[in-house]
Amino acid sequence: MKLAIVVQRYGADINGGAEQHARYIAERLSRHASVEVVTTCARDYVTWKNELPAGTENINGISVRRFPVSHERNPDDFGRRSQRVFEKTHSIADELGWLESEGPASPELVNYVENAANDLDFVVLFSYRYYHSWHLARRLPEKAVVVPTAERDATIGLSLFGPIFRGVRGLMYNSHEERAMIQAASGNTSVPGVVVGVGSDVPDRTDPERFRRKFKLRRPFAIYIGRIDENKGCGELFAHFQRYANAFPRGMDLVLIGSAVMNVPKHPRIHHLGFLDDRDKFDALAASDLLIMPSYFESLSMVALEAWALGKPVLANAKCDVLKGQCIRSNAGLFYDNYEEFVEALYSLESNGPLNARLGRNGKDFFKRHYAWPVIEKKYLDMFSQLSKESAASGFSRKIDPIPGFFARRKRDLPPAEEILHTIPRGAA
Amino acid sequence: MSDFSVRSDNVDVEQIMRQIRSRIREKRGVDYTEEEIRELANVKLEKFIDPKGVRSNLLDEYRRVSTPEPPAPNYAFGEETLYETHRGPIRWIRALLRPFLKMLFNPNPLIQALHIQAELNQKAAERNARREQLDALHYEVIHNLVVELTRTGVEVKSLKMRLESMASRLDFDERRARALEGVVQYRPGAVPPLQVPSGQEPQRRHDGRRDQQQRHERNDRNDRGPRPPQGQQQQQNRQNQQNPQNPQNQQNPENLQSPQNPVQPPREGVAGEGNALDNDGNERRARRRRRRGRRRPGEERGPMGEGRGADTSGADAAATPAESSDRSSTIDNRPSDQGGGPPTAPPDVPSE
Repeated sequence: MKLAIVVQRYGADINGGAEQHARYIAERLSRHASVEVVTTCARDYVTWKNELPAGTENINGISVRRFPVSHERNPDDFGRRSQRVFEKTHSIADELGWLESEGPASPELVNYVENAANDLDFVVLFSYRYYHSWHLARRLPEKAVVVPTAERDATIGLSLFGPIFRGVRGLMYNSHEERAMIQAASGNTSVPGVVVGVGSDVPDRTDPERFRRKFKLRRPFAIYIGRIDENKGCGELFAHFQRYANAFPRGMDLVLIGSAVMNVPKHPRIHHLGFLDDRDKFDALAASDLLIMPSYFESLSMVALEAWALGKPVLANAKCDVLKGQCIRSNAGLFYDNYEEFVEALYSLESNGPLNARLGRNGKDFFKRHYAWPVIEKKYLDMFSQLSKESAASGFSRKIDPIPGFFARRKRDLPPAEEILHTIPRGAA
Repeated sequence: MSDFSVRSDNVDVEQIMRQIRSRIREKRGVDYTEEEIRELANVKLEKFIDPKGVRSNLLDEYRRVSTPEPPAPNYAFGEETLYETHRGPIRWIRALLRPFLKMLFNPNPLIQALHIQAELNQKAAERNARREQLDALHYEVIHNLVVELTRTGVEVKSLKMRLESMASRLDFDERRARALEGVVQYRPGAVPPLQVPSGQEPQRRHDGRRDQQQRHERNDRNDRGPRPPQGQQQQQNRQNQQNPQNPQNQQNPENLQSPQNPVQPPREGVAGEGNALDNDGNERRARRRRRRGRRRPGEERGPMGEGRGADTSGADAAATPAESSDRSSTIDNRPSDQGGGPPTAPPDVPSE
């Protein structure tokens, strides 16, 4: 079996959620199939500036082919277009303009994959919202298997993507909530899809004492791992934690791991350690009492899965349906909607050892049952096998709706994407 | 804050969250979510900017600012504007005839005036836009103030309720303590009184003094050595009361205030004369007060202000372990005074 995995950025040092997800999947599937990764020369997901050399290179045994991005993102233009399609009545031409402006636009990449398609069994497209996924799904619907990594944001309400979800060969969802959202937005229940997610390379042994010694942390602490960003709910987390720290002078500390794109408050009980390597990260998780996930939008939280793999409970933001759903399904985490719930849940996990241990054990079981690598690999291989059998039996008959003509494309009669988003049911699946 | 008991291997996160929410409801008295607080604040905001109370058109003004009007259209006027056209031939003819036109009249003042007017319009539009932004900020500030005020109001109400609850519990405890003290004093069988509660009838107080003197005499015989006669002692007590600076008074072990046993501040409902009547009883009461005083600030508090350990809220009748030991120590003293016999009545049943 020959696979192409197409993703917007790729590299051992690129830590975006979807990008890391793609790398893990590529490395795992390479044990069962011939895998080539096709990506861009961009490293920065905001500008898509060509920073890496075009051509082929080998990363962890995987052949990676890079193509330049034709133009960098203009933030002003992208902001204006986003405002139009998300908040105002607009046309399909507006949405196409938005997609082009969002990037990373690389016609060379799309042409290469289209030309190589005859030799490929399937093309796995990561992140539905980007240029490469949309164009390749339209050009190669019979081979396109999309890993949407969709979050609950207004992009899902754009009319561009409905035909893609309804027309591709298969979908690999990250969570039940993501599947429910996409099915509600596009009505693609007939398209084969499976909830897979992604595993993680969690070490067998960790050394929490080493981490405590190295960073001189003696008190119990909760941990947050990820980009420290307002969009990730860190502002709310800091506000809640500072109130908690005032109410609980002897409560636990908060340790932050990750690069900061917002100001971290100077507080004696908030320790920002910056970006750490994997060893320190896993030791930190093992040393912590629990992981806090304050993010509002997630298609799948890999760090939550890693915490569960290490037997640590998670305190998640209930505004994120995916995290809340995972906490409920795993019985391995609590969730909060406001400060009172945050402080009560945090205190419960902090003070109640049996509860903490029980939730941690549940998390470990949940991870083993659903997110261990053999399980993930089997789900992908089963899906490919099922799609191959369908092709052999009846061929591929679904067709993607064509793009309207010149005038119909410019008719501004599409509702704002945010309106569409509000009509999609919320809550844990 | 009570803990969740994990009795089996199966924990239900949703059940735990339901318990957490119900506990929050109990603490707050009323379950206001953030959204509800915002709704309340909006109601208050409506009141706050009620035209009757503030200014006739303030409410409309604020609402208008919250939905800004599109900027008024403007024009650009340059030297060539008068002669511009998208049709080439006409443009050519106008250019050809422009000198002739200028011979007939001078269009320059008109062009200048319209150009200045266009610039003025532009500046006015920018000024208006800035003002609208500022107005929106003011609206935001007032809105946030009202939200915070509402939140504070809700908290104050909740705290008031808790204060009332605690006051009633305290009152109940006080009455219970007095009842117990009364039981000890008026038990038949000549039990020496521990102390005289305030507000007692004079005859009973007199009885109490007599009992106390008898007990003092007994104690003096037993372990304190010789004492002055009764009348002399009473006189000395009176002198001590009249002259608290008397060195003899300061050296009196029963009136001595050691650093370890500082004087407790007077409390409501406890008569000062009770101290003069029964020094032994007074010491016990002071000990009890000290124990209470030590216990109260040392209690661990939850994040919402309650104790950390077992949930004692709402258990008015069921005293905390510290209170129980305190009470039992008071009761246990009676048999020791009587020579170690068992108590004849339950401690909290007044048996006259």
